[in-house]
Amino acid sequence: MTDYTKLVLDQKYSRRGFIAAAGASAFLAACGGSTDSSSDEPAGTAEGGTATGDLLYYNWVDYVNPETYKTFAADTDVSVKKDFYESNEELQAKLQAGARGFDLIVPTGYMVQILAEADLLQELDHAEMPNVDKNIDPKFTSLPYDPDDKYSVPKDWGTTGFMYRTDMVKENPTSWSEFFELAKGPYSGQVMVLDGIPEVIGSTAVMLGYSYNTDDEAELDEVKNQLVELKPHIQAITSTNYKQSMIAGKTAMALGWNGDGAAVAAEVPAEYVIAEEGGEFWVDAYSIPVGAENPAAAYAWMDYVYDPAHNAVETEYTYYGSPLQRELLEGEIDAKVLANEDVFPPDDVLAKLEPNTVTPEGTKIRDRIWTEFKAA
Amino acid sequence: MASEPPATPTRPRKGSAGAGGPRYPGWLALPAVLWYALFFLAPLGILALFSVSERVGFSEVAYNFNLQNFSDLVDPLYGKIFLRTLELAAVGTLLTLLIGFPLAYYIARWGRRKSLLLLLIIVPFWTSMLIRTYAWLILLDPGFATFDVLRWLHLAGENPEVLFTSKAVYIGVVYTYLPLMVLPIYAALERMDWSLVEAAQDLGDGPVTAFRRITLPLAGPGIVAGSLLVFIPMLGEYLNPVILGGDKTIYVGNLIGQQFLDSRDWPFGSAMAMVVIAVMTVVVLLYVRLVSRSQRHAS
Repeated sequence: MTDYTKLVLDQKYSRRGFIAAAGASAFLAACGGSTDSSSDEPAGTAEGGTATGDLLYYNWVDYVNPETYKTFAADTDVSVKKDFYESNEELQAKLQAGARGFDLIVPTGYMVQILAEADLLQELDHAEMPNVDKNIDPKFTSLPYDPDDKYSVPKDWGTTGFMYRTDMVKENPTSWSEFFELAKGPYSGQVMVLDGIPEVIGSTAVMLGYSYNTDDEAELDEVKNQLVELKPHIQAITSTNYKQSMIAGKTAMALGWNGDGAAVAAEVPAEYVIAEEGGEFWVDAYSIPVGAENPAAAYAWMDYVYDPAHNAVETEYTYYGSPLQRELLEGEIDAKVLANEDVFPPDDVLAKLEPNTVTPEGTKIRDRIWTEFKAA
Repeated sequence: MASEPPATPTRPRKGSAGAGGPRYPGWLALPAVLWYALFFLAPLGILALFSVSERVGFSEVAYNFNLQNFSDLVDPLYGKIFLRTLELAAVGTLLTLLIGFPLAYYIARWGRRKSLLLLLIIVPFWTSMLIRTYAWLILLDPGFATFDVLRWLHLAGENPEVLFTSKAVYIGVVYTYLPLMVLPIYAALERMDWSLVEAAQDLGDGPVTAFRRITLPLAGPGIVAGSLLVFIPMLGEYLNPVILGGDKTIYVGNLIGQQFLDSRDWPFGSAMAMVVIAVMTVVVLLYVRLVSRSQRHAS
């Protein structure tokens, strides 16, 4: 069996998996609707907090420990119905096209801001989920995409860096500039990058000493030149295949997310690196969209997973960082996971990272750079 | 014609139409017309409306008539991508024809179990295109048996670089669209009277001349139809470059997808789509002229 047979047969959808397939459905959704979001009345917030009925949970694929579904259903009177999306943009397209009825969604921070500005999110009532305010690590409150914590509660968080096979790459790269040099040198043709416009352009900007979110045309022009120079050495631009290809030994280095890096390192000799220059720090957050049929059930879910014992079950499954206070997780979570710096980077490393806060103008410039990168 | 009284009283009023065949009531076309109006013309109208609108904020659309999107498209970068896409469609169509014609010829002229052979051509359509394209990842893997055989035949080197290159994209599109080329050519050759070829050879034409003067003209409409059926989807090709090409080479289909899915600039993406639709319309008009001329020749 070849490694690609394995890829096809074992295709485990990663957090942001299978974007090509998502394309068709998102396009259909995009064709269907204009963008006037009907200002649905926010559904009445239940008092007391005893939720019943169904929770329609619209989420990334494979992003919840299956155990949690079972215990949640057993411990509450709510049963979970699942639906999945493959990218933030698909989620946005669905909601903008008028899809309603979802009780709980998990957009990434920048998308929380976009959805909130488009009046597609309900304001949250923190009194309905006491565990959240009690247990959250204060550094995950008042984040720039939602400064008043009005629309979102962090689910988990991660970083964008790079990973390499320690048995193939002997130079121990620790920075973006080393990643670029090695990619253009000895490992030409064995390097993959994410199919993500903000991630690739932002990381390159950071390498050059600029902000991940720079809107400066001259700075972005330098970024473009770097990427066009890198392009001939790139094996593939993909958010779905790099993990398997790294495990198969066909790819020596890849620009990617820490959860995938941890998954690769769990199977083969490999290391995930947060580059010295910095990079992206992202948060995926719970939100309740307008038109939710059963917001009480969504509050019940958030309250439930903000219990440290329940949260540990999630973190051990996803390998993405938990936003709960660290002391609360000690003893609950597998000590090896808690000590894993890929899952929980230390504070001095985190201080170098920036969240994605790209503006519409920046998106427009980035789109053209990305096209030029791909056309090169 | 229709308003004239029937020529003879015995001919029934309904269902007669002078020189043509029987006439059916017009309402039979209603489901198809409604379908097209609802699911083809309406989305096309929305696309046209978007293409002259403007994106504001992250993905809101302001319906203020302007042609900014089209003037933004006048850019060497997009011209280059468009030319590359035209090249993919043209070369891809030619390759599909070179492989598809002999196959259709064989089935139509010498195939013993034609229906079985045709079934085999259609069988791939029973599986999702996405899954078939992923399967090619295995076939094109340098470690897979495909390359062992090619190496044994000295047709491939030790480390063949096919996957994630434009070669893989071409292999993918030829594979994907081959049935659409074979079926119309087969349909044309199936109706052909092969004794014409024999007669030409009896009268002194060599096999090549007979092929050029008899077979090719008679297969012409099939070739044109097949080429069109293959050329048009190749102009909008999305999946093969993403999966087999490693998403490294961008074609128009991917560029449009990027506007809708990544950059969320629906108006700009719509403008691109309108340009592609315009080019396709020109191609179809050329096709109609070509076919009507070849039919005049044939009669």
